[in-house]
Amino acid sequence: MTMSREKLKKLGLELPLFPTTSVGSFPKPDYLVKARADFNKGRINREQLSELERKATAFWIEKQEELGVDVLVDGEQYRGDMVAYFAEIIPGFSKGGLVRSYGNRYYHKPIITGAVSWPGPITVEWWKYAQGLTKKPVKGMLTGPYTVMDWSFNEHYSDRRTTSLALADVIRKEVEALIAAGCKIIQIDEPALSVRPEELPIAIEAMHRVTDGMNAYFITHACYGAFEHIYPGMLEVPVDNFDLEMSNSDLNMLNLFRSQPFTKDISFGVVDVHTHVLEDAEKVNERVRQALTILPKERIWVDPDCGLKTRTVEEALAKLRACVEAARAFRN
Amino acid sequence: MKLIIANTGSYPRAGDSPELQTLRKTIAAVDRGEMTSADLADAENEMTRRAIEEQARAGVELLTDGQIRWHDPISHLAGKLAGVKINGLLRFFDTNTYFRQPVLMGKPERKGPLVVEEYRFACNALGQIPTGREGTVRVAVKQVLTGPYTLAKLSLVEDPAMQPLEARAEAYAAALADEVKALGESGAEFIQVDEPAIIQVPNDWGVFTQALEPLIRARDAVRKAGRKLQLALYAYFHNPAPFYEKLAQLPVDALGLDFTYDATLVDVVAAAGSPRPLGLGLVDGRNTKLESPTEVARVVERLLPKIKGERAYLGPSSGLEYLPRDGAAAKLELLGKIRAAVNG
Repeated sequence: MTMSREKLKKLGLELPLFPTTSVGSFPKPDYLVKARADFNKGRINREQLSELERKATAFWIEKQEELGVDVLVDGEQYRGDMVAYFAEIIPGFSKGGLVRSYGNRYYHKPIITGAVSWPGPITVEWWKYAQGLTKKPVKGMLTGPYTVMDWSFNEHYSDRRTTSLALADVIRKEVEALIAAGCKIIQIDEPALSVRPEELPIAIEAMHRVTDGMNAYFITHACYGAFEHIYPGMLEVPVDNFDLEMSNSDLNMLNLFRSQPFTKDISFGVVDVHTHVLEDAEKVNERVRQALTILPKERIWVDPDCGLKTRTVEEALAKLRACVEAARAFRN
Repeated sequence: MKLIIANTGSYPRAGDSPELQTLRKTIAAVDRGEMTSADLADAENEMTRRAIEEQARAGVELLTDGQIRWHDPISHLAGKLAGVKINGLLRFFDTNTYFRQPVLMGKPERKGPLVVEEYRFACNALGQIPTGREGTVRVAVKQVLTGPYTLAKLSLVEDPAMQPLEARAEAYAAALADEVKALGESGAEFIQVDEPAIIQVPNDWGVFTQALEPLIRARDAVRKAGRKLQLALYAYFHNPAPFYEKLAQLPVDALGLDFTYDATLVDVVAAAGSPRPLGLGLVDGRNTKLESPTEVARVVERLLPKIKGERAYLGPSSGLEYLPRDGAAAKLELLGKIRAAVNG
């Protein structure tokens, strides 16, 4: 048994081989998209919006259970952008003006204008709500300090390391609160991990501040980056499991893992989230087979490449189903 | 020594106020089939005029069209070439913005002008703006092109003949050299070639310099025909200090550097000097925090005596599209304050 399997067992979690999960976000049903727009225009109040967010969360918990997913997420029905969501709650941030993301997509990029601090539990009530709907484990979902730093403007702290560490202290408190509430698997996303390879030590140091001494199984998700510049150094990030977008890059990362062994558990992205096309079973199975050429089966989790929020509800369900079916095929 | 205030490239296409949402709303309406491509062109023209006006009002002397029409720095050029298909999204360096990736189905070839019309439009728009500085300060338009090495590096390949990086860089270089010539013949006097990729992957230096040569030859041909044309190379989104001495030897008319990544670049440049005019990217084009004009002015004073060529260009470290509109305007105004504080 691998160290991380033992850790899961000690946490009271008996997961099957090839545990299935998803990266975090699911698409919002049409009624919730409309409600969010209505809320922004002042047509409905916070409680009316929250009611629909809870309804959508319950929908996704039910669907994940129906499909047979092993480790569930709440689907982030109450979040917009993965950094802005936290920035809107954490003191020290101000809402910035519109900045383009790509094409005709814009978002309000947060600005750090003062010292950041933990305002009390941010995600815990949502986690409790989602966990209360299922007996299966639900992951706590946070954005990592390096990514929050990189995706915000900074007018307060002197440099990027200081900013990352200050944010790490805030996120650590949220981790403590999640664990106190009973959460055992916590995912701390760092999609910006590879953007400045020379700053990998900052991301690692910040993650140490978040996870050191914490009794939970930690996952981090990274995607769409130049991993060749940070591998194998990225394995020093103190988490148990790397959730990686493998399919969108044609499993190119496996070549890296052949050059230097991959030493952690992996949540192996077996379906591409950026295409409407649903991969057939053979293609998904082949991706798992490829994973098995370099990683022991005890270390492999199966999931989509990234959050599914940009897909339709039907596409997201079909992609999740493909993950579950592939995992079952290999268990047998 | 003349210190010219210059924009480095892009300018935000939208702002928070309704009048600054014109282009964004029009694109959405075109996508829904409720407006036409003519409406889109009108919106692009309007926002381009505004971008030029804002730069001129802020005292920028070498301004751009804001690259308002550009979907991104890669597909806007590559997508107009034969042999290129535009694919999905990829993160653009460490900007948390995305570009659509070109796929080379064949050799990328120029079918016609890429940005010549955009350049002409910008000149006309500038001509219609009362700057209040006529007769004292000359304001000119700088045309930006993404360089052949960066285009090649960020392209996917289907055609086996384009598989070697050298082959695709050479093909892009031929297309861009023709564009440099066409721009020069249209009266362009200043072209900025952006090559952010080269300071990320210094091992490709040979490919990079070879791909730059056709553009230099095109510039020389334009000059031989009696026109004035300067070609600048800009490298940003990383610390150029380790490659500075090599960059400084390139046969370009100006070299633009991003000073925001590593404070040691100032020491490196001050020690080595520059044989040609420099673009001083001392104002962070990607953070809203406003630098102290006097502090930046002291750095400028340190660098100016080391720069040959009688001029330097003071500007943001990169394009300004990574900032909110009001933040971008504030950065441009800051440039004027810095210059006022130099030796003052």
